Amino acid sequence: MTLTETPRQAPPAVVAKGLSKVYGQGDARVHALREVDVAFATGAFTAIMGPSGSGKSTLMHCLAGLDSATAGTVHIGDVELTGLGDKQLTLLRRERIGFIFQAFNLLPTLTAEENIRLPLEIADRQADQVLFDRVIETVGLKDRLRHRPNELSGGQQQRVAVARALISKPQVIFADEPTGNLDSRSGAEVLSFLRTSVRELGQTIVMVTHDPMAASYADRVVFLRDGSLVTEITSPTPQSVLDTLMKLEA
Amino acid sequence: MLKTARAGLRAHKVRLLLTSLAIMLGVAFITGTFVLNDTVQAGFEERVTADAGKVAVAVLPGKPDKGIAPETLERVRAVPGVQEAHGLVRGSAPLLGKDGKAVGSLPTTAISVVPGVLARTSIVSGTGPGSDDQAAVLDENTAKAEGFQVGDTITVLDAKQREHTFRLVGLFDPGVDQELAFTGALGFTTATAQRMTGEREFAEIDVAGADPVALKRAVASAAGAGLVVKTGDELASDLAKSAGLQIEMLTLGLLMFGFVAMLVATLVIYNTFNILVAQRTREMALLRCIGATRGQVFGSVLVESAVVGLIASVLGLAAGYGLSAITLAVLRAVDAPLPTEAAMRLTPATIGIGLAVGLVVTVGAAVLPARTATRVAPIAALRTQTEEQTFRAGMLRVAFAALFLLGGVGLAAVGALVMTPGEQISLLVVMGGGVLTFLGVLIIGPLLVRPLSALVGWLPARLFGVPGKLAVDNSGRNPKRAATTTVALTIGVTLMTLISVITASTRATVTVKLDDQFPVDYQLTSQSRESSIPRSIADELRAAPELSGVVQIRDTMSASGDVKVQVGAFQGPLKPEVTSGSIGALGPGTAAIADYAATDLGVKVGDTVPVKAKRSGTVNLRVVAVFPGSDSPLPTITMSAPQFDEVFGAVPDSTVVLNIADGVPAERARAVVDAAAAGHPTVQVMSSTEIRGEFDQTLDMVLMIITGLLGLAILISLLGIANTLSLSVHERTRESALLRALGLTRPQLRRMLSVEALVLGLIGALVGVVLGMSFGWAAVRAMLSGAVFSASPWQIALFVVVSGLAGVLAAVVPARRAARASIVGSLAT
Ligand SMILES: Nc1ncnc2c1ncn2[C@@H]1O[C@H](COP(=O)(O)OP(=O)(O)O)[C@@H](O)[C@H]1O
Ligand SMILES: [Mg+2]
Repeated sequence: MTLTETPRQAPPAVVAKGLSKVYGQGDARVHALREVDVAFATGAFTAIMGPSGSGKSTLMHCLAGLDSATAGTVHIGDVELTGLGDKQLTLLRRERIGFIFQAFNLLPTLTAEENIRLPLEIADRQADQVLFDRVIETVGLKDRLRHRPNELSGGQQQRVAVARALISKPQVIFADEPTGNLDSRSGAEVLSFLRTSVRELGQTIVMVTHDPMAASYADRVVFLRDGSLVTEITSPTPQSVLDTLMKLEA
Repeated sequence: MLKTARAGLRAHKVRLLLTSLAIMLGVAFITGTFVLNDTVQAGFEERVTADAGKVAVAVLPGKPDKGIAPETLERVRAVPGVQEAHGLVRGSAPLLGKDGKAVGSLPTTAISVVPGVLARTSIVSGTGPGSDDQAAVLDENTAKAEGFQVGDTITVLDAKQREHTFRLVGLFDPGVDQELAFTGALGFTTATAQRMTGEREFAEIDVAGADPVALKRAVASAAGAGLVVKTGDELASDLAKSAGLQIEMLTLGLLMFGFVAMLVATLVIYNTFNILVAQRTREMALLRCIGATRGQVFGSVLVESAVVGLIASVLGLAAGYGLSAITLAVLRAVDAPLPTEAAMRLTPATIGIGLAVGLVVTVGAAVLPARTATRVAPIAALRTQTEEQTFRAGMLRVAFAALFLLGGVGLAAVGALVMTPGEQISLLVVMGGGVLTFLGVLIIGPLLVRPLSALVGWLPARLFGVPGKLAVDNSGRNPKRAATTTVALTIGVTLMTLISVITASTRATVTVKLDDQFPVDYQLTSQSRESSIPRSIADELRAAPELSGVVQIRDTMSASGDVKVQVGAFQGPLKPEVTSGSIGALGPGTAAIADYAATDLGVKVGDTVPVKAKRSGTVNLRVVAVFPGSDSPLPTITMSAPQFDEVFGAVPDSTVVLNIADGVPAERARAVVDAAAAGHPTVQVMSSTEIRGEFDQTLDMVLMIITGLLGLAILISLLGIANTLSLSVHERTRESALLRALGLTRPQLRRMLSVEALVLGLIGALVGVVLGMSFGWAAVRAMLSGAVFSASPWQIALFVVVSGLAGVLAAVVPARRAARASIVGSLAT
């Protein structure tokens, strides 16, 4: 499979302009983000990379409406996040955004299937059964649907989380270090599911990672350092990502 | 380790505050009760001492119902050293109200008011009667109730029911004399008091003089045998003691509620410390990692509980003091016949008991959680995620629970179904069964939580969408904790339901019995409770076409052998229930007898009982029927009416009952009855609804007071629910954040916690209602023969609704906290 080189027709799924985030006050001020301008193409798999503390998570939280930026704007599709209240942000997340976190992705009282359907239930929407079957097929959870999270391995749990994010066909999925707690084999599995879902379902995914191997699954990698977007590469390989990182830290 | 205990206290302020409140409320109730008791007791003592202090020596009858002959007074007066001596008269003298009917349900008590150094009656307005035989004083409460003022003319009946008028010259305070406060009291000169009450003998002789001890000896030898002579001091301390006994009963009753409150508080504290330990697993493990011994960890938790217990007890002590001050103010405001004017007493004993109870309960309840803390493995410090609590039904638990439940239910069944109703032992057996069953429920509780939460959560899960469904799942997540939390609520609801069922059933039983055995529309009784309704009234009623079924019942005290017994007869169409024999066979030479008297006298149908005739001789009566004595209107030994007249003379009626003739409106019938009774001030007319209403009111009062007192237990259990929920919120911080990220709104998250609390509240209420109804039924069966079970559905529904709402209320603060938490911050923890 090769990456399409032609510029995409569809408008970007997520756009941030002049995004800044400051934590704390006075001496304790931390500029987690400094005027970041970035756009994430629809139907693409983008990785955000950077050293620890560079502001990756903060960027993701601001993009996803989980946290509010100090300055700048964020658009998800045609909706501007700035100025939305908690209720509207919540509804926006419910309708348009999927999440995969590093750990603790699932509710322990619910079965795998209930966890997968949870976003739909919350939104009071019917599941697309064809999509559901396809997603389950893709992530290979058919015989695990009745199990509760504590009966699943870490890899299986993350696959459930991926399936949950896909099922509601969100405009964009944000994944924060989705393979951070997994061994390399399970991690590779989860990453290939993410890539498959972009290729086959046209899903848009933005993934935060500090692992060059993980980043190499993406179509494009943007690099952060000290809260600023410094560079980006397309069609990354583990080696090209590593080289870029080395250059950044030098 | 003290440092860690202190840090722990600081870090968990809110939770510990809730716990302290639970202990505080319990301690406040207990110490408040003691302060009230001591203060009222002190008030009694002060009054009694002031009162009896004027007396050097008092002469009292040897037996309570005997009097002191007037000659004794003459002999006492002659004793050298006696400056003054007065005989005190006491007896019934019905005061008539402005409507011409005798006041109150019992005749007013008249006493002699002595002037001079021995004056013990405290006149609060106007003057005493002095030596004016036409003057009277009245107690202030009766005066207020009946609208009499100083200067009015009042009418009082003498022992022969003749009317006398007096000028009301003053009002007095009956003080600590409970009888006077209850019946209402009149005061006259000694001569008038004797004339009005018909009492020749004295109830007491008061003596003034110097050197009471020597005087006592002299007076005792002059008074002769069969009398008790006391100095003023002795009299005061005896009076104080008997007054104290009455207040002690009240205190004991209140302490029972204090005990229930403390029991609930114990469960709440136990749960809180379990929660604190669970929350601090990592912290404790870290302490163990860096070398703290198990003993040190154990100690730090106990020290923490001791500090909480001590602070809460001190606050509780203060609150209890305030509570009793309020109670005293209320008692004063409603003119309760208790001395409320003494300075408030906070005795060292009260302080000691209050602190000890609070401390022991808190530390005691923390021991098991502290032991759990010692079992935390050091490695737990390194685990990131708290493990899901799994709960397995141990065989031992099931076996024990089964044992307790079977034993408890079996015992209650025996008490309710097999044993004789009405005997104390039956009720005790049922109560024992109740306690065992409750322990069984306590043990099996964790196993019941999941099925019950599914049951009571069925509707909320469907009504509230995803939040509802998650809430119901969550409520059964930590069954042990949920069980302890709800059991605390169950205690209060069980007792409330129990009391509600007992009152409703008692009411229903009494109504059924009245309807069955005494189907009357009106009842005439005499205020004096003696046979004193002129027979002419019944004759008049019988002649009235508006009325039917007039029955006269009359009785007198006589004896059978050495046993004192009530003997009487009835006249009219009465068909009383019998346990053996037949009332129809009653005629000259025969008698019907109450079951208890039959047992006492050892007779049955066919045997003969001797009954002493009025002046001399004995009549032998053959028993033709035995009837249930406790529910029957019949005199204990009932003879035929003609023979009764022959043996005892024309005794007036004690009770007349009658019905309204068919088709006559109640108001017209009532007018006829009232007219017949009009000329007889002490004859009281009551309709069947009034008879029931009087009873209903008493029961309602009892129900209200007990429910109010049990409200305290409910309040404390609410603190437990709030505590448990706030822990759930804490434990599920990340879960909540995840749900919020996935699109759960803040109100939905709050609703989720409210529903969880609702489910917990409903589980507690449900178990409480089932227990309360079952044991209420068993208790009624054990207490009353022919018991009719009845429960007020709306009252019980109210308990359930209030419990549910209370749960929701308890969730308000934790839910707000959960909803306000930042998603990003929570995800990071
Ligand atoms: N809640 C916060 N309060 C203060 N500083 C924060 C907070 N969250 C993150 N930071 C700071 O902001 C910077 C970026 O953090 P983060 O976005 O978590 O980086 P990354 O995910 O790349 O490791 C860091 O210096 C971090 O210490
Ligand atoms: Mg990060």
